Amino acid sequence: MPYQINRRDLIRIGAGAALAAPAVFAADAPKFFTPAEFALVDELTESIIPADDHSPGARAAQVAAYIDARLAEAFDAKEREDWRNGLKLVDELSRKMHGHTFMEASPGERVAVLTRMAKNEMKPKSPEETFFRDLKHATAHAYYTSKIGIHQEMEYKGNAMLEEFVGY
Amino acid sequence: MFLPADKSDAVDLRKTYDAIVVGSGAAGGMAAHVLTSHGMQVLLLEAGKKLDINRELKSMEWPYDHPRRGDMPPDSHALSGREYTIRKPPYAQGSPYKHVYSYVEDGTGSDYAKDIVVDEKDHPYTGTEYAWVRARCLGGKTNIWGRLALRLSDYDFKAASRDGYGEDWPISYADISPYYDKVDLYLGISGHKENLPYLPDSIFQRAVRLNPAEVKLRESLTKMGRVLTPYRAGVTTDGLKHNKYRVHCYGRGACDRRVGGCDIHAAFDSPTGLIYPALETGNLTLRTNATVSEVTVDKDTGKASGVSFIDTDTGQTYTAKGRAVLLAASTLESARLMLLSKSSLHPNGIGNSSGHVGHNFCEHIMGPGVYGLDKELVGKPRTLDDGRPGSFYLARFRNLEDRNQKFLRGYGFEGGSGTGMFPDNAYGTPGFGSAYKKTVRDYAGAFIGMGGFGEMLPRYENYVELDPEVKDRWGVPVLRFHIKFGDNEKKMAKDMADAAREMFEAAGIEVLSVNREILTEGYSIHELGTSRMGTDPKKSVVNQFQQAHDVPNLLVVDGSTHVSASCQNPTWTIMALCWRSCDHLADELKKGNV
Repeated sequence: MPYQINRRDLIRIGAGAALAAPAVFAADAPKFFTPAEFALVDELTESIIPADDHSPGARAAQVAAYIDARLAEAFDAKEREDWRNGLKLVDELSRKMHGHTFMEASPGERVAVLTRMAKNEMKPKSPEETFFRDLKHATAHAYYTSKIGIHQEMEYKGNAMLEEFVGY
Repeated sequence: MFLPADKSDAVDLRKTYDAIVVGSGAAGGMAAHVLTSHGMQVLLLEAGKKLDINRELKSMEWPYDHPRRGDMPPDSHALSGREYTIRKPPYAQGSPYKHVYSYVEDGTGSDYAKDIVVDEKDHPYTGTEYAWVRARCLGGKTNIWGRLALRLSDYDFKAASRDGYGEDWPISYADISPYYDKVDLYLGISGHKENLPYLPDSIFQRAVRLNPAEVKLRESLTKMGRVLTPYRAGVTTDGLKHNKYRVHCYGRGACDRRVGGCDIHAAFDSPTGLIYPALETGNLTLRTNATVSEVTVDKDTGKASGVSFIDTDTGQTYTAKGRAVLLAASTLESARLMLLSKSSLHPNGIGNSSGHVGHNFCEHIMGPGVYGLDKELVGKPRTLDDGRPGSFYLARFRNLEDRNQKFLRGYGFEGGSGTGMFPDNAYGTPGFGSAYKKTVRDYAGAFIGMGGFGEMLPRYENYVELDPEVKDRWGVPVLRFHIKFGDNEKKMAKDMADAAREMFEAAGIEVLSVNREILTEGYSIHELGTSRMGTDPKKSVVNQFQQAHDVPNLLVVDGSTHVSASCQNPTWTIMALCWRSCDHLADELKKGNV
């Protein structure tokens, strides 16, 4: 069978790819986190990449659900353990600083907790600093590979057939 | 898939083929194309499987439409750069993971290439640290190659005469230039004419466009007498009327999203560019899952009589007969095969009376580079910058007319700037909240970076041999490496980092980081040498037509035969040389000379 595909076909394929985008992980019950842990991850990721006047944030992009699904199937059990411990550290730090958990904290208190955790982000020293680095990395990865992250936040223009090749 | 009718798996073991070609990558595909076009009956053997490559690559799948955003399943592991430095091969030994892959799988989109590259568990090797990337499937590494398609010049072919190190090639630019032209026209190449004697132009189709930061760097370099040119890509940008399996580049973007691969085949790959058209001649028989384990020898004449191959599914061994045998299994695998082919007439391995098979290894040293910021681009509206098969190439400038006292030979840089699908600065930008989000957004398109590729000098002491004990999954002895970068490479690497910084600073690009670390040997995936060409049978393995000095009907047509690495990427030279040798072989076969 000869392989012939014309430009109109190609453009249609490109448009189709942009339209057909089923959510991969529906917001069902979490696969690994407890409901309370999931709520905390959802809040933490939204605090790292919040909705603003430019685009929706991590919550709308279902970042917590993606992290949960990846952890549920992770090959190395230590990865799951690290996350569970990390979440405990967040609440411990919040209690120490403000006398209650992160979820019970006010918006200003939450920022203070995260600011403390993010102190040595590029070279983390304490366990909570290390957890922040992992949390931030996972959040950024999940958000900027999401439909919202790619199309609304970054306004990515590629992965679509162009009418003409843009030359030199 | 759009495969033409072929005679797959229908090897006629009673027939004597005009030629048997081992390997189906750039060299093997080219050999099949040229020989079948001369009317020769060719048997092409590929150790890997025949993949429905478009289903593998899924070039336009969005990350969010993949359950792991393009990553491999959790039981698979890609070796990290660090793993190559803290352990010695075999790297998969003792790994708890079900599958272990080389470092090329350590990035986004690994799920799309995991069936193309080999599982290190099945394909061990031993010896010194070496990042060996192998693809076993129809088309080999051309399915995922980086596509930079450069010519060599007499600065490379006659480098030994210029600086006194090593050996000249037995050919000059005038010998190979017509064949570069043929490759350009048959496969398509994109680029911009620069008229440089040390980096000759190809017959280019439309070039990719440089973006603002790249233009700024180009203009600054012009003042220094250096040349930054749009990426010379083995990609057809204007189309190829003679090839119905490929269409021209549509600048879709996301070319750099994963481990290569182009599902419209605008980028050259051996199956659509060479093998499918060769099948249409009716002169080609293709057999996949056929691992050649030995070149067989006619006991009376000492010439090659054919090959033995193992069916990788059943483990059964067969022997096929040919008037000529062409090795195109990749530089290191072709050497392995010659060393495996021991007989009373060829006790050191076929074609190895010189003792040079496996020796004189060379490649490109990588690692040093620079990353910077063009402040004028911060906050600018989003543009499409990755709708290009590559961004730029910065040509060699060391040891051309002036002589650098610290080291021999030179290096070039590959680099790029602009926005991709994923904002890489998302990981490196500190903080959180709205300010973080806005910073990532505003800065995403303002970065520019480049990394060097430097010529590694060939040395006899850098070699591979057969491991006396370790075997692969099919019971074939594996390679043991004895390969280390030397003093010249290390001095060059230091200069690469220093020069990279200077060039960015001169262009007014804010330098954010300079990388000085050398990557593990093998990283460039530009392994060369091991069966070098030459006029002296005592110091070289093959002649200028890639015929073994000892065995005239045995040809080695891949990167094995390169006398020196130059600093240019080798694929286009591999194909031009192979075309030249196959024209010669067809002529010799017709005359009855081999």
